[in-house]
This record gives sequence, structure tokens and C-alpha cells, in this order.
Amino acid sequence: MSWFRRHPTATAYLLLAPGIAYLAIFYLYPTLQMFLVSLWTGTVEAGYQLTFNFGIYPQALAQYSDHFLRSLLYGAIATLLTFLIGFPLAYFIAFRGGRYKSLLLFLVIAPFFTSFLLRTLSWRIIFADQGLALGPLKDLDLLPEEFRLTATPSAVIAGITYNFLPFMTLPLYVALERIPPNLLEAAEDLYAGTWQRFRRVTLPLALPGVFAGTLLTFIPAMGDFVNAELLGSPQSQMIGNVIQARFLRVSDYPTGAALSFILMAAILVGVFIYARVVGTEELTGGTS
Amino acid sequence: MYDGPDALQKVIGAPVTRRRMLQLTAVTGVSAFLAACGTTGTGTSAPSGTPGATVGRSLSPTASATGTPVASATAGASATAVASARADATASAEPTAVATRAPVSGSFRWANWVGYIDRERGPRYPTLERFTQETGVTVEYEQAVDDNESFYAADLSGPLSVGQSTGWDLVVLTDWMMQRLVARGWLEQIDTNGLQNYPANLLDAYKTREWDPGNLYAAPWQSGMTGIGHDRGATGELDSLEVFWDPQYAGRMTYLSEMQDTIGLAALRLGFAPETLTQEQFDQALAEVARGVDEGLVRQLAGNSYVDVMALGDAIVAMAWSGDVQGLLVPDQGAGQDFQWVLPRQGGMLWTDNMGIPKGAANKAQAEAWIDFYYRPEIAAVVEAWVNYVCPVKGADEEMLALDPALAENALIFPTPDMLARLHPFAATDLDTAQRWQDAFADAIGL
Repeated sequence: MSWFRRHPTATAYLLLAPGIAYLAIFYLYPTLQMFLVSLWTGTVEAGYQLTFNFGIYPQALAQYSDHFLRSLLYGAIATLLTFLIGFPLAYFIAFRGGRYKSLLLFLVIAPFFTSFLLRTLSWRIIFADQGLALGPLKDLDLLPEEFRLTATPSAVIAGITYNFLPFMTLPLYVALERIPPNLLEAAEDLYAGTWQRFRRVTLPLALPGVFAGTLLTFIPAMGDFVNAELLGSPQSQMIGNVIQARFLRVSDYPTGAALSFILMAAILVGVFIYARVVGTEELTGGTS
Repeated sequence: MYDGPDALQKVIGAPVTRRRMLQLTAVTGVSAFLAACGTTGTGTSAPSGTPGATVGRSLSPTASATGTPVASATAGASATAVASARADATASAEPTAVATRAPVSGSFRWANWVGYIDRERGPRYPTLERFTQETGVTVEYEQAVDDNESFYAADLSGPLSVGQSTGWDLVVLTDWMMQRLVARGWLEQIDTNGLQNYPANLLDAYKTREWDPGNLYAAPWQSGMTGIGHDRGATGELDSLEVFWDPQYAGRMTYLSEMQDTIGLAALRLGFAPETLTQEQFDQALAEVARGVDEGLVRQLAGNSYVDVMALGDAIVAMAWSGDVQGLLVPDQGAGQDFQWVLPRQGGMLWTDNMGIPKGAANKAQAEAWIDFYYRPEIAAVVEAWVNYVCPVKGADEEMLALDPALAENALIFPTPDMLARLHPFAATDLDTAQRWQDAFADAIGL
């Protein structure tokens, strides 16, 4: 016992050891392995050789730049939409939820009780060209006959928005919930109007939630392939679909791995810039 | 009653076609049909010359089953079949000259395509149930294959390339894919020792496949055609491949994610013969496919899941496999839907799907028992009448006609000579070319 007291740092590392070991084995090692895979040449049947073929990176980037841009666009729009929907939702639950708070929060997470895949597939049935939603509208001539929702970019973005909404709402709720009511009262006492109070007190204090929510939504949205696969058309395929196809269709592991790393790097750079702009400084500045 | 075979015999002489096919190496298809006719043509009056009469073991209760003629196919009769099978098993205790196999039990895992075996609501698979009743072997049947390449990449190439087993004991894949697996040495050899029906009842046409001499790796499951599937209620009559590039149907059609089918149809539209496709012709056909994708004509590229897109009404025109429309779409079609499959004026694709046992399969003997079971003509006939594809089993045609004479009119099971003349297998290429074409195709369809 006394040994642990005398060596607090060692104790900390000992406590961290299981977590570090876990990450090293199941994250770090596979990541390194994947990086080596991206530098292979060959085919799955004839065997691969590590040839340090770095040329694959510019090659893959050039070949699939459309898919990268599309993913960036879809991911960004979907993230913005989840924010626009999620913020009022979180605000309402945090400040007006009253005794229904827990129930409302439960309802936000409720969709997770059904498989992600199943929910997206059911969209395809509900929004089919002659399905539950569009069929009656077309019969009433409110929509042109050739109008369609599925197999369009809008459907992909809507699907991502829907599927990732809880990831945005929950961090926002946590941030808003933690705002001490006396700060809002103080703002009122200082003659701040509703809008001013929101803009100068509530919003800055919610920023950590915005930051976390955006990252939790945007990062997986960029790499998503399920929505584009089920709700998209061949022209709305995202980079995730290409990576999936390279691994599980064409058995072209090096290109798939290289694309994964390019995606990872792009996201890291994006997050870094974002952190600088929305900024850690402002985050800590708000609470100090 | 069914005069297709004779007519066909006249249209294409068997020897000629067989020689031509051998040159092309993609032997399977057309000659399969020839042989299908051959059986009826040369066949004697003896009903379905099953060799099951030799004293079998638990594997081959056929002796008595074939004895009861048509009725054995109905569910009611299966009980008697089982009873007699048992009688057989005891009878076979006496020594015989025929090699026998130890009885198997347990189960095997089978990856097949959607709508590829007779099925009832539940889902229940009557023929699989009958197999279990007779042999005691249960089947873990999964509709796991949506298209060849994705199944190969997701389920086979990973484990097999490092010498592990795949978890599947039996897979059904198209001939070009089987050829690849054989070339890689990734299939178990089917131990035909003591099997009563396979390969004895395999139609002769399938015995000339260069990549599988002796038919020891790939046991044909069904042959079929690729053509136009459409909702006649929405499109009216169609018979031209032009429809797949017709802006009128933009966003309301699907292409197949099988390179051979989609490129094959595109080539036929351009007037090329798919069985002798050159690199240049491939490039032209590929450009047409890419145009269909880029201009938004194609709503989706799908494997077998195109039937779902059609059932929903999202697609009204699809590159479709012959039996699916009749077997999967028509039974559940909604008001105003009228699904049809047509062989295009310019021609269609012809292929064979095969049962194979992946290397290292844990339940090989059970899978072999199933193959032998399927090759009993009266079993194959029941499957065929439901799936609406062309059957590789000798004698199944007679059994089928006895089952339901109206099936003779079914051009999906018994293609007419006129149809046969318009069917083409896809070029048999070397593996490198195949890989390059697959890559180029994936690229063209946006992946």
C-alpha cells in the first residue's frame, strides 16, 4: 500500500495499463498493419508483397477525389442539419422538459433499440416511388409521377441526418443542462433581452456540446456507406462505399487501405482546423 | 407433347455445337440445352433411368422412391418414401458389389441465392425437409449470395488465401467463379465414391467442361438466362436491349452487379458476341454501361436484390435472371403490377450455377449426401418446377412433365429452339483478364 503512495505516477500508469494494452492490441496494431497493407502490391490470390508503394496514395486520391468531395459535402450538410434539428430539441428537453426529461431523453435514444440497417431499409419501403408516403401524393397529383425520394443525394443526406441525430442531441443536452440557472437570471437582471441572453450566455456555454456533437456526427458521417448504399444511386456513392467495395468486392486491399488512411488524415486535419477556429480557447474561456 | 428438343436438334446439331463450345471453352450453357434435348431425344421409354435401383444405403433410398412414380414429389408421399428408405437401409445390410458410404448425420451449412429452392411461407423448404427426414442430416440453409464477386471477396478469399476454412460446407456460384476457385485449388474434390446419382445423372453436356474434368469439383445446380425483367403494366411490351439506355425509363431501371451479365447484355446490344468478346469490344460495352450510370439512367446496380427494388415498384425495368420473375416477383405482385421476363431480340446471356465444397469444409460428407439427393430426378423435378430454371439432372424433365404437363409450355424451364439460338455464354478469359475487367467494371459503376 505504501509503495503506491510513494509512487503516485507509477500507480496512475498501472491503472491505465489495461486500457493502454487494449488500445495497443486492438487499435494501434491493426492501424499499423493497415498502413503496411496500403503499401503492398499484388493480388489476394497470387499473394501480396510489401513493396513500400507510396505511389498508391496520390493515385487513389486522384481516382476517387469525386467520392471524397461528395463525402465531405454530404457529411457537412448532414452535420449542419443535425445541429439545426438537435439544438432546439436539446434546448427544449433541458429547459422545458420538466418531469418528462428522462422520458424525452429516452425517446431520443429509442431508435437505437432497432438495428441501424433495419431502420434505413424501412425508409426505402416507406419512401418508395409508389410507397406509403409518395403514393397517395402522386395519386392526388400533388407530385409529378416521376418524382422520387430514394436513390437521390437528398435521401442519402436525410438518412445520415436521421441516423446520427442522437449523437448531436445528447452532447448538446449535456452542455445545456449544465448551465447554472442563476447565470440566466443574472443576464435578465442586467437587462438582457431573450435573444441577447441566448446569444451571449446560453450559446457560448453550450459550445463544448456543439464541439463534441459536431465531431461525433461528422466523423462517422464522412465514412458512412450504409446510407449511400441503401438510399443512394450509383452517382451518390461515398468514399465509404468505395473502401467497402475495394475490400469486399474487388479484393483490392491496398487501395482500400490507402483510401482509409487518406480519409483518416483528411478528418484529422479538418478536426484540427475546426478545433482552432471554434476553439479550445473559447471553450475554456467560457467557463473560467 | 414437348417437341422442343427435336426441333432444337434440327436447329443446332449437337456435334457441331459441342465442338464450337470447346473452342470457346465456355462450354456449359448452350450444350447443356442440347443435352437436355438429347435425353428426351435419345431416351428410351424407360422412365428416368435412375441408377438408384442398385442397392444403396441410407444415402440412396431412390430405389423405392423412383418406383412410386409422380406422387413421390408431393408432400404426402414423402412419408412413404421415408418408410421405404428405412426398409432399404436394412435391406442394404447384405453385402453388395457397389461401393457404399457410411451413413452421415449432423448438418451442413449451405450458401445459396434468393429464390433458388422450393420454399413455402415460414420460411420452410420442403425439399430440404424431405432430405432431413430421409438422411437425418439437417441443413443450415442461408440465402447468403447476392452476387459472385461480393460473396467471393467477403466470404471466401480471406480465409481460403490463408488456409482457413470458410464456415460454409456448400456454396452455389456461377461457372466462371467456380473456374477461378478450381484454378486456385480452393475447392474440395467431391468424393463420388458410393454416390448413386451424381455424377451418373448429370446431363452429358455438363461433362465437357474443360476446367472440371470428371465433374469432381462443381456439381451443376441450375442453368439460366439473363434478359429483361419488366413490369408490363407500366412499360407495355418490351423486347429490345435498347430499353436499358432509354431515357424514358431514367431512374427506374437496374443493371446487375455481375460484370458478365451487364457487360454481356451491353455487348449484345452493340452487336458483339459475348462468347468471343475482345478487349476492344469490352471497352466499348463498358463505356455504354458507364454512360447508363453517369447519365442517371440506372437507379441501382444490384445483385439478386434487384427483385426487391422491382417488387417495391421503384424499378420497372431490370436486367433480370430468368427464373426470378416467375418464382419471386409474380406470386406477390401488387395491384397493377404485371411482371414479365423476356429474352431480348438481340439475345441474352446463358450461365450455369454450381454447387461446390470450399476447401477445409467441416461437413463435406453431408454436403455430398445432399448433392447426391438433388440428383435424383424426382427431387430435381420438384425444385425445378418451383425455381423455373433449366435443370442439369437427367430424367428430371420426364418427372417434371409427369408432375405437371403444363410445365412443358414453360420456356424458362424448356427454352424454345428460337430462344436457344439467341443465348450466349460469356467469354472464358484467363484469370488476369477477368480481374482487370472486374476492376474496370467496378470503376465504371462508381465503386
